[in-house]
Amino acid sequence: MLRSSLFANGKLRQSLSSILATKAARKSSSTATPPPIDAGTQKEVRHHENHASEWWNQNGTMSALHALNEIRVPFIRDGMVARGTVKPGYVNTTRVLNGQRILEVGCGGGLLTEQLARLGAQVTGIDLGEKLIEAARTHLECSSPELTNNVAYIIEPVDQHAKTNCECYDAVIVSEVLEHVDDKVALLEASVRTLKPGGSIFITTLNKTLPMWFGGVILGEYVLSLAPKGTHHWDKMISPLDVQRILDTMNCQTILVNGSTYDFWSNTWRWINSTQMCYALHAVKQPLSDCN
Amino acid sequence: MLAFLRIRSVALPAGNIRVLSSKLLSTKNGTDSIGSRSESTKAHYDIIIGGGGLVGTTLAAALSSNPTLADKKVLLLEGAPEFKGFDPAGPYQNRVSAINKNSIELFKSIDAWSHIEAARYKPVKQMQVWESNTDALIQFQHDNFASDVACIIENDLILDAVYAKVKDAPNVEIQNKARIQCVRLPKDSQSQLSELELQDGRTFSCDLLIGADGANSVVRKEMGVDVFSLNYERMGLVATLDLGDDACDNSVAWQRFLPTGPVALLPLTDRLSSLVWSTTNEQAKKLQCLPPNEFVDALNEAFCRQYPRVELADKAVQALNTFFGHNATQHQVQYPPKVCGVKEKSRATFPLGFLHASSYVCSGAALVGDAAHRIHPLAGQGVNLGFSDVRYLVECLAAGAYAGFKLGDKQHLIKYERKCLKKNVPIMLGVHGLHTLYSTDFSPVVLFRSLGLQLTQNLPPIKNLFMRGAMGQ
Repeated sequence: MLRSSLFANGKLRQSLSSILATKAARKSSSTATPPPIDAGTQKEVRHHENHASEWWNQNGTMSALHALNEIRVPFIRDGMVARGTVKPGYVNTTRVLNGQRILEVGCGGGLLTEQLARLGAQVTGIDLGEKLIEAARTHLECSSPELTNNVAYIIEPVDQHAKTNCECYDAVIVSEVLEHVDDKVALLEASVRTLKPGGSIFITTLNKTLPMWFGGVILGEYVLSLAPKGTHHWDKMISPLDVQRILDTMNCQTILVNGSTYDFWSNTWRWINSTQMCYALHAVKQPLSDCN
Repeated sequence: MLAFLRIRSVALPAGNIRVLSSKLLSTKNGTDSIGSRSESTKAHYDIIIGGGGLVGTTLAAALSSNPTLADKKVLLLEGAPEFKGFDPAGPYQNRVSAINKNSIELFKSIDAWSHIEAARYKPVKQMQVWESNTDALIQFQHDNFASDVACIIENDLILDAVYAKVKDAPNVEIQNKARIQCVRLPKDSQSQLSELELQDGRTFSCDLLIGADGANSVVRKEMGVDVFSLNYERMGLVATLDLGDDACDNSVAWQRFLPTGPVALLPLTDRLSSLVWSTTNEQAKKLQCLPPNEFVDALNEAFCRQYPRVELADKAVQALNTFFGHNATQHQVQYPPKVCGVKEKSRATFPLGFLHASSYVCSGAALVGDAAHRIHPLAGQGVNLGFSDVRYLVECLAAGAYAGFKLGDKQHLIKYERKCLKKNVPIMLGVHGLHTLYSTDFSPVVLFRSLGLQLTQNLPPIKNLFMRGAMGQ
């Protein structure tokens, strides 16, 4: 229902309200046990878990994700610095995110999590894949033991996490996750709920455009094998405008959308002037929001 | 040392009892390290620089003065005994470098330039390059000699300036007489640190090991990168020369390509110049042993002697100059001042070669300077390439650390390599090409190179391109 409505933007609000209604109904019915994860999400989680052992191999199937850190970490860092919550003394030092509490939704093997923690942030990484969290924990222990006090990994859906961690993060990161979930509204809604008023939500994902589908999915997965086959699906991709609309309904104002693209020949990402391929979005939760 | 550091770091905030206990603890650690040298007692640094030459020491100074990297502990390892320092009033040294604008910018950025400026250096206003088989010649200068083409600075003075910075830096340690025995790198697995053992048995570990240990780099060997190298079968002969009174304002650098290799005069003061004479191994050995007066004669002859000319190329150069509307008098070769004498014991020789590493980085290690690339001194680019490596590496490490990358993360280090290759390879090919072009007197090649040189001289855009490449702007 959501996916078809996302095509036609006019129907979005209507579908949003219906989704929120169904969600509320579900919430009331299952308070004791965690809500069951739907089949689509389970399939996605299993797909990613198959690559858990490859996750930290820079030259393996995750090389493009490794390379993405070159632009997404500065995007998040500079976004947080621009919000003025970073003490001026920390700017331009390696402790720039000192004391900042960050939630990473869908942290996978922890590629981004560790790197943000290395800048001094207190990062919580949540993911549904047990093998992924296991890989993340193993890597943290073996390769970056100095970060153990800065990182916590939890196997938990975000709406569950939001129940116990309402309004307690300075930033929430949903990086390369949105294209893998059906219920984007629920995910974003729960993510925003964990955010302090004035906190930032950072999203990176693929755009829903033909160039992206052809270049990223057909060429990238089936011809060049840059990402594992079946990683991305057209009907789960979402345009920045739609993300922005969803966030608007949650009292989050989008302050920056940057387009990016991937050069497979050099395994590098770079910012471009168009959001036709991939994009990074920074939105800020407005102080007036109420937490329900 | 490590034990001592521990005492300090623990003792400062603690009370007396804790001081005592930490002392006890640390001495225990100390005996352990002597006894067993187990993994845990290895001294750990964030960055270890292997090689305290010009490039390595400058790198240490640049790392220490970068605000983002201020919390990184750096160790500089040098095989030689402690640097004796430089006496700006003493006699001129025979090893000098032509430092270009980019390198000067680097020195300014690490606050070492004032030290050099306060001592002594010679700005070069013009460069003249000409050859022996035709009249082709090229002159490099800025419009109206407004700014310098390069500066001639003694290597020891540069070292003195950057060494002073390193000594003052709180986060840099220097170990002298420290020769690297063996190195262990994490290669592509991410989990380990780079480790190294010195010849005296001390061991260290680090996040990033930087090989600044010259053309025979131990670090490079352990990295296992492919190396392309050529021995030119030539020697460079250096000496400090006395010019006598007719040198006037000695501010031109001269270079003449002879069939055996280029001979160059670099100004040091109004009356002194430094010589770099690249020639065959036998001739270099012979020249080094000649009595001073005979050596001076041989040198003056090298600059002035008429070699058999290639008629066709000569005519072509003349025709080209006519085409561009110059008459012959404008293009006459100026001759360098006559050399009167050579400073005693200033003559020295060194072998010349070409070397390029296929890769400058791997997980946990990076190469700078001669460890990664070595070229013919004919364009005076070798050390400048090394200094621009330093600049790029420090920029790269600072950007990486500010983005949460580990120092030795290949993912990020590769950016340094890309930037360096883009800059180094064209210059290296150019310099190697010049050497090849000018080491023959085969007529078609002479024709080609003379026309090329003359075209460059007459077409300002091309000439400016070369100038930018060589001088860094």
